[in-house]
Amino acid sequence: MSSDANETRIGDAVIIRDEDAANPIAVRFEHVRKTYKLFRNDKQRLVATFFPGIHCDTVNASDDLSFTVGRGESLALLGDNGAGKSTALKMITGVCFPTSGTVEVHGRVSALLELSAGFDMKLTGMENIDMRCQLWGLSKEESAVLIPEIVEFSELGRYIDQPMRTYSSGMRARLGFAFASSIRPDILVVDEALSVGDRKFAKKCRERVRGIMDKENVTVLFVTHSTNMAREFCEKGIVIQHGRSVFGGGITDAIEYYEKH
Amino acid sequence: MFSTLRQILGENWHWRHQVWSLAKIDLVRTYRGAALGKIWLFAKPAVYILVFWFALSFGIRSASDVNGKPFLLWLACGVFPWFYMSDIITSGSDIYHRYPYLVNRLKFPLSLISTFYSLSLLIVLGCMMLFTIIVCLMLRIPLGVHLVQLPLVLALMFLFWTAWSMMLSPLSAISKDFANLLKTLSTPFFWVSGILFEIGKWPQWARLVMAFNPVSWSVEAVRDCFVYDRWFWSDPYSFLPFVCVLLMFALLALHNHHRLYMEVPDVI
Repeated sequence: MSSDANETRIGDAVIIRDEDAANPIAVRFEHVRKTYKLFRNDKQRLVATFFPGIHCDTVNASDDLSFTVGRGESLALLGDNGAGKSTALKMITGVCFPTSGTVEVHGRVSALLELSAGFDMKLTGMENIDMRCQLWGLSKEESAVLIPEIVEFSELGRYIDQPMRTYSSGMRARLGFAFASSIRPDILVVDEALSVGDRKFAKKCRERVRGIMDKENVTVLFVTHSTNMAREFCEKGIVIQHGRSVFGGGITDAIEYYEKH
Repeated sequence: MFSTLRQILGENWHWRHQVWSLAKIDLVRTYRGAALGKIWLFAKPAVYILVFWFALSFGIRSASDVNGKPFLLWLACGVFPWFYMSDIITSGSDIYHRYPYLVNRLKFPLSLISTFYSLSLLIVLGCMMLFTIIVCLMLRIPLGVHLVQLPLVLALMFLFWTAWSMMLSPLSAISKDFANLLKTLSTPFFWVSGILFEIGKWPQWARLVMAFNPVSWSVEAVRDCFVYDRWFWSDPYSFLPFVCVLLMFALLALHNHHRLYMEVPDVI
């Protein structure tokens, strides 16, 4: 199944993933297709667990998607709802797998998928942050430095010791953003996250992202409908329609293309 | 098949610190919101044991000493392991729905979810076994040399029930039927597996059939340590069938993991 440590072959798909942050390429997609199975009903779903070859409807969320993101670049993924932006981000993060094609990711990815990404609602904010630091592979000492920073940025105050399920969606998003942007990833993936919270917090988030992009050699991927945000942050843009990348280039050209089509 | 095994073992080794802390987090999570917290760990099995003891000794009048050891000890050695197994059978068989965010929000190897859940239940079982030993010592109930095999028994149980969870969870993730089936089977498992009756007195063929039941093997093996004073491998007619079942489940777990681990994030 895997030929060496970094390369995994699954059927027709190849996934190359390592933590080499010196590689000039951060992310590369080559003819990537992601097919989701659609079951007509629960009976078909049950049968399909025993006979994987059984026929069922499929939909291609990504279809022949190709693009490359260089190290340190900032790329906006523009596209309408259902164009396959989030699927592409999930494949970059590594939580879902392509059906065919090649996905190449060099460096550690921190992602904010759908805002409250990866929090356990039964645990407190503090326990969640602690757990996430461990899953990210930080030592106790590193976490001890980072955690107060995250708590302060999230502005949760005393709520940090309350169970996550009592949080409002804005509070979850704030904590999610504070974590994802504090752990110093090589690749930061932001999925509509900066549009949450009040104006003051949104501004703070934008400043944080800007700081990350200026100072460090971080690659940033933005998913957004907001062309203003894309223009503000990104140098490059690609337009995705029906799972394909139909345009790639400078951000101004990409926005122009997106708005026309 | 071997590459899947190597992959799973490699992941478990690489993430061992995280597995350990996630097991502790699972315990915190289970007993969150209760001021008495850890007391509930003991309260539930203790109430069960007392109720069964009451029913069996006053109701059915079949609560005599076993192998010179008190009936309550014999009962505890069945009920404590049962709590471990019943949690695996009900929650452990559908573990990806318990931790959906580890499946499709964070990059985290799927195989570890079964491991740390099973480990967290094993910690509880370990505490209960320790509790049993302490009570035995306090009441001067003689415990033999056969108690030293207890860690090995617990390790084998851990291996088997983790494989069980890994085999069934991908199926439960795709179709709810599996999760429902196993929840339904939990109570029958309890009643047919010799937790409340001695299968040692059964005819040879019936014992052989029971030996293929992993619940019954686990309970008997724990009782071998505390009550029957014998080595659990000394009876090949019960140990070899268990080894066969263990190997079969391990192979099926590898097979299902390999076949379905890419699909699970799409359906959770």
